[in-house]
Amino acid sequence: MLVLGIETSCDETAVGIVEDQLHLRANVIASQVDLHARYGGVVPEVAARAHLEQLLPTIDTALVQAGVHLSDIDAIAVTAGPGLVGALLVGVSAAKGLALAHDRPLIGVNHLRAHVEVAQLEHGMLEPPLVALVVSGGHTSIVAMGEDGTFRQLGATIDDAAGEAFDKIARFMGLGYPGGPEIDRLARDGDPHAFAFPRAMRDSGNYDLSLSGLKTAVIRELRRMDAAGEEPVLADVAASFQEAIVDVQVEKVLRAASDEGYEQVLLAGGVAANSRLRERFAVACGSNGQRLIVPSVGLCTDNGAMVAASGANLLVAGRHADLDLAVDPNLPLAG
Amino acid sequence: MLVLGIETSTARSSVALVEDDHILASAALGVPRRHGEFLAPAIRFCLDQAGVGIDRVAGVTVGVGPGLYTGLRVGIATAQAIAAARQLPTVGLCGLDVLAFSARYTERRICAALDARRGEVFWAFYRPSPGGVQRLDDPRVGSVDDLAAEIDAHGHEVLVVGDAVLRYAERLSETDAQLAGPDLAWPDAADLAELALPRFHREETHPPEALRPMYLRQADAKIGWETRGRLQGGAA
Ligand SMILES: [Zn+2]
Repeated sequence: MLVLGIETSCDETAVGIVEDQLHLRANVIASQVDLHARYGGVVPEVAARAHLEQLLPTIDTALVQAGVHLSDIDAIAVTAGPGLVGALLVGVSAAKGLALAHDRPLIGVNHLRAHVEVAQLEHGMLEPPLVALVVSGGHTSIVAMGEDGTFRQLGATIDDAAGEAFDKIARFMGLGYPGGPEIDRLARDGDPHAFAFPRAMRDSGNYDLSLSGLKTAVIRELRRMDAAGEEPVLADVAASFQEAIVDVQVEKVLRAASDEGYEQVLLAGGVAANSRLRERFAVACGSNGQRLIVPSVGLCTDNGAMVAASGANLLVAGRHADLDLAVDPNLPLAG
Repeated sequence: MLVLGIETSTARSSVALVEDDHILASAALGVPRRHGEFLAPAIRFCLDQAGVGIDRVAGVTVGVGPGLYTGLRVGIATAQAIAAARQLPTVGLCGLDVLAFSARYTERRICAALDARRGEVFWAFYRPSPGGVQRLDDPRVGSVDDLAAEIDAHGHEVLVVGDAVLRYAERLSETDAQLAGPDLAWPDAADLAELALPRFHREETHPPEALRPMYLRQADAKIGWETRGRLQGGAA
């Protein structure tokens, strides 16, 4: 059973092909990072235009990579949300065209759920219950995946998403875009304890997080040093900022897992590619006796394989979409 | 030859299955911002009602604008996917050309003008020619005052068609032009297919990946997280 997955929710035009839910046959990404870099963020109209130009060639490349023809594909899966509405519509429209052309089922996929389920390609079918941290440029939430596979939101950022904070601080520091990988790289040579940046809502008693105060504190510190004529060691700033973000997430996620009595923790989404986040979770889960499930870096950032994997699960569950499938820019993970 | 026509570049979406000069089936929706939900079921509906399989379709034609960007991309992405999957030739046509073609039985020059939002209009001028119309210059975008000035400076009697007439009736009625009614407000998929047919016959077609929207404006460079707002979805 072959499922082709199309992902166009943000700034990657991506297509993946998965066989029998578990086997990755193709994973092709046409990145638009260079197009958006000069704006320091994703520009929706630029993204939508680029998706339209890149999608057909990306589908072609994926079919070649898998060594199959479109007529061999059993179902077409596509991200229906959340994401940028104009960008989502390009992928969903193309998916409908493919489904119509070969009379195959269309499957609407939740992008956030797909970030979680992509782990099955490397670790086998997930065996919930587990607690997942879904963390990306547009999203930072802690969710419980129950035994029946349903998601329940435990907490979320009340302001900036982690990836957004990385981008904004990187931009302020004059680093490249996207900010996450730049800060990750710079932080490797820095002292994570050089600056005591705030860990907001650490003792809030719930699983919500707040990152905008941290962002403001970093900017204020850089401005203060500038005014005082001090030369900031950017590696130290990056490392300390990153450590603060990682600290809060490790703490809240592990507390959630132990409160729920779950023994597995899963990291998902683009920010889960952050090396410090992965390292700290590995240590923390190890000492807590929890199993940590993390996709490889290439499957954390947006890709088509995750859509194909999640779509394959829905196909097996008999959950097809109709041809009038609407995009939902605010599609929630829970439910 | 059976041609599938898709026109979603304006507030009114339409689909048609045309065999030579015969409309086998058509469907239209006059509700704005519903292109994405309407289009694929409408194609399915036309195929089913006409009693033909998608394998009978020999060409796909689609309106490439100028028009509303989101609708344009819905139409083009769908057309591209169907054509690529079925290995069919495509013809992309300007919606203004289709509108002018629909209005071809007039002695006047035709100005096709579509609402471009943000106080602007897309337009082009045409003169009648045997069996159709001939566009006089490239489509462009500008204010309704720019358009009115061009109409007055045109030097011929002009018939204005397109939804800009509905939107800017007051301003355009100050010109000498005759204004068409709502039956000539939006390009229609059946007219699009009829206009495209000779091109399929002459093999003046493109591979699907060559279809491109006619934007006529630079992308609006507003950053995603600012328009999206926090926690409003988005992606890594
Ligand atoms: Zn994502």
